[in-house]
Amino acid sequence: MPTLTPTAPFGARSAPQEMTVVDPARQLTEEERDRFLAGTGLNGPFVLDLLSDMLTHERCGAQLYRSLAGRTNNPVLKRQYQQFGEETVEHVDVLETLIGQLGGDPMYVSPAARATEKSGTALLESTFLLVGSIDPMTQELVMLDAVLLAEAKDHANWSGLAQLVDTFPEGEVRDHVRRAVDRVEPQEDEHLGWAQDMRAKLIELQVRSGALAAMGAKAEEAMARIKDWFS
Amino acid sequence: MAFNPLDQKGTPVEDQFRNWSELNVEPYDKHTVDPYTRTRVILMNGIEVESIIFSHQFARNTDNPELLRALATNRRVDQQQQKAVNGLNPGEQTPLETTIGYEQVAVDLTAWLARHEPDPYLKAALDFALLEDFDHLYRYSNLYDLLYGGHADQITQHLTEIMPGRPTSAEHRHPHDEIRRHFETHSVDPLSRLHVMTIVAGEQQTMNFYMNHGTDWIEPIARGTYAEIAMIEEQHVTHYESLLDPLDSWIAMWLFHEYNEIYLYWSMMQQESDRRIKAMWELNCNMEIGQLQVAADFMRKLEGREPAELLPPSLPDTPVTFEPNKDYVRQVLAETIDLRADGLDYVPLNDLPKDHRYFRYQEIVNEGGAPSDLLVDQVHADKHHEYRDETQGEHPVADLQATVETVS
Repeated sequence: MPTLTPTAPFGARSAPQEMTVVDPARQLTEEERDRFLAGTGLNGPFVLDLLSDMLTHERCGAQLYRSLAGRTNNPVLKRQYQQFGEETVEHVDVLETLIGQLGGDPMYVSPAARATEKSGTALLESTFLLVGSIDPMTQELVMLDAVLLAEAKDHANWSGLAQLVDTFPEGEVRDHVRRAVDRVEPQEDEHLGWAQDMRAKLIELQVRSGALAAMGAKAEEAMARIKDWFS
Repeated sequence: MAFNPLDQKGTPVEDQFRNWSELNVEPYDKHTVDPYTRTRVILMNGIEVESIIFSHQFARNTDNPELLRALATNRRVDQQQQKAVNGLNPGEQTPLETTIGYEQVAVDLTAWLARHEPDPYLKAALDFALLEDFDHLYRYSNLYDLLYGGHADQITQHLTEIMPGRPTSAEHRHPHDEIRRHFETHSVDPLSRLHVMTIVAGEQQTMNFYMNHGTDWIEPIARGTYAEIAMIEEQHVTHYESLLDPLDSWIAMWLFHEYNEIYLYWSMMQQESDRRIKAMWELNCNMEIGQLQVAADFMRKLEGREPAELLPPSLPDTPVTFEPNKDYVRQVLAETIDLRADGLDYVPLNDLPKDHRYFRYQEIVNEGGAPSDLLVDQVHADKHHEYRDETQGEHPVADLQATVETVS
């Protein structure tokens, strides 16, 4: 089972920065960073931080889909969120395996990963902190917006890695990276494409639908409409 | 046996409301109370206050009606708990006597946390402020002697030594030297997180208490001393809160608050000698478990995360314990009394350049004399002695050994 939230009891490690202190027992040492992809001519420490960043984005994505699948009022969206959520957990697994195969520690949380987690948290919080001032139909759109934004970065991560495959040294290392990209990239194409199409459909549906009836009936009517979308 | 609060139901929050007479508890007897019962009351009051303030901050950052209702409900119960806990302080205990209790908390809590803190940087932060609170206990004890002829050991019962620490007048630093590095939320030892949250709450309560009680006196020396030490508590809150990782989500912070409250009430239960008060710790522990379950449900529903992914598999084995830390404090005094803060780090006083902002700030605030120094001068002049309670021998720092007769 892949790790969705790295914590110290399960081996999480990090690197001290100007404002971050990490217990020496849980630091990724300079030697470990320097050893990563050493002798390949690549900037190993950067690649390690990048892969940690990508892994954190997938972890945040898995969280996002679990949350949305439980909150959407539309059965079609729910099914899709569940399916993409399961695939995203697989992507976590793929990245954890890849980092390990390249000699890194999948429980290492890089500074870049921390920044990505902050934006992922804000994206997820945007779907529930302000729901009191958003009507139910717009709430669905806000959730889909979060998916679209998350998938846009996810897609960029994997297409970027795909472009880099041939820069990895020929042999086992390149094979590991290629296998990971081959497994995940097509799904990322599908995720992003679906989010873009679905957003357009959702907006069109609302643009073409009649205005809701009297205020009192609004919530109920909105829920009924959401449920019937795409059916 | 390992105790995992997530596996417990606790008291459901809707069953936690109490009537006025249940909140209007009988105070302890200030003459017979175990000093560490007093410190437990002071600490847990501060823990509840932090929980309430955090909850209000969270509420100001959302309009989600479900969240707002849950926060309001938990907060209302926290407020009731705070009234019952703080109500244990007797009215006959003067604000200055309570203050001496607050400083006994600061010394023995900080020292205990430092002794058990696994991260060396966080331990250094605790040691650094420990010597400052230790000095506050000495200053307030002398104020007690000066104003009332009181002996602070009647409150502390010789469990905590009373003598100078890093002199209060030397503790005033430029705000830029109060900021520390923070732990990293993934890799931090769960115990360290609990330690930092606990000390932030404790220091914040001390800051609030001095902010409000500094004007309880007519005597200018008392008002001045409270104002001066209140400013150090502002420094300490800044110092300690900067150790917290700002990466955590609102709901994660909520979950950690509830978890820490459970850890602390469970800790207080283990050592409480007063059976009636022990029952209160037990009651509140069960309430907090119920409140944790509410936060946990919101984490599952809104964040798509299992709380067990964030929280340790069980509470720490060792309860936070109020006990004497005399040898430890003496060791920290002997080894680090001359440290000062320089940016994010600590350096010996002699290593600070002459034009360092520390000295500029000192000149500004201490111009005309610091009340905490003037207070001791006045005790010397009026009483021809000073108050100390050095149970383990003379002060470990030669420069801080008594130059006049001492009483205890």
